[in-house]
Amino acid sequence: MSSSAAPVTDASFPTEVLESSVPVLVDFWAPWCGPCRMVAPVVDEIAEQYEGQIKVVKLNTDENPQVASQYGIRSIPTLMIFKDGQRVDMVVGAVPKTTLANTLEKYL
Amino acid sequence: MTTPKSTPTGQSQGKNLESMRKFAEKYASRTDTYFCSNLAVTAAVIKGLAQHKEELGSPLCPCRHYEDKAAEVKKAYWNCPCVPMREEKKCHCMLFLTPDNAFAGDTQEITTEQINELCQQM
Repeated sequence: MSSSAAPVTDASFPTEVLESSVPVLVDFWAPWCGPCRMVAPVVDEIAEQYEGQIKVVKLNTDENPQVASQYGIRSIPTLMIFKDGQRVDMVVGAVPKTTLANTLEKYL
Repeated sequence: MTTPKSTPTGQSQGKNLESMRKFAEKYASRTDTYFCSNLAVTAAVIKGLAQHKEELGSPLCPCRHYEDKAAEVKKAYWNCPCVPMREEKKCHCMLFLTPDNAFAGDTQEITTEQINELCQQM
């Protein structure tokens, strides 16, 4: 699968997301979550469109329950934006690309 | 002689998939809801429900993160069909979509072959 969003884990989350110098979009997904499959290509497009400006990663909540629980993930997919180590925004469910782009623009 | 298909797990997995597939078709028809126009979404969710039924004994919603899956099964709130679906026809997993939903397709049917094929492509 050629995805622009690199996987992060419970272990790599602090370095990859919290210590990132650019804003990070995190796609919290699960293997058998249908709408996650609709969101994944949108997230990939966003990664290409904002290349260099933001970092885009994905986290499998089944395999990385610690981070998922820490940020109170309930409904999946959930897309979270982190800036300077803080969660600054969040979008829940399968959303159109424009919705996601508009949310992101606020933090560039 | 061993045939891979005759393992108990393989058999019960198939049985659970079939029962979830039939449930999804019947429930869609009964509630006047439709599968997603992208049937890969439907296939993934049915597979996820079958997997939870296999592991936990109940078809817990595969589109949520739980601190403790076994405890959630006992609470029953997110066992499919979940409370929001039964009370308000709201399925954030996009398995059952009301006709006014932009993602709703025009079918309430999916075959086992379709599910297996679509899940293999994932």
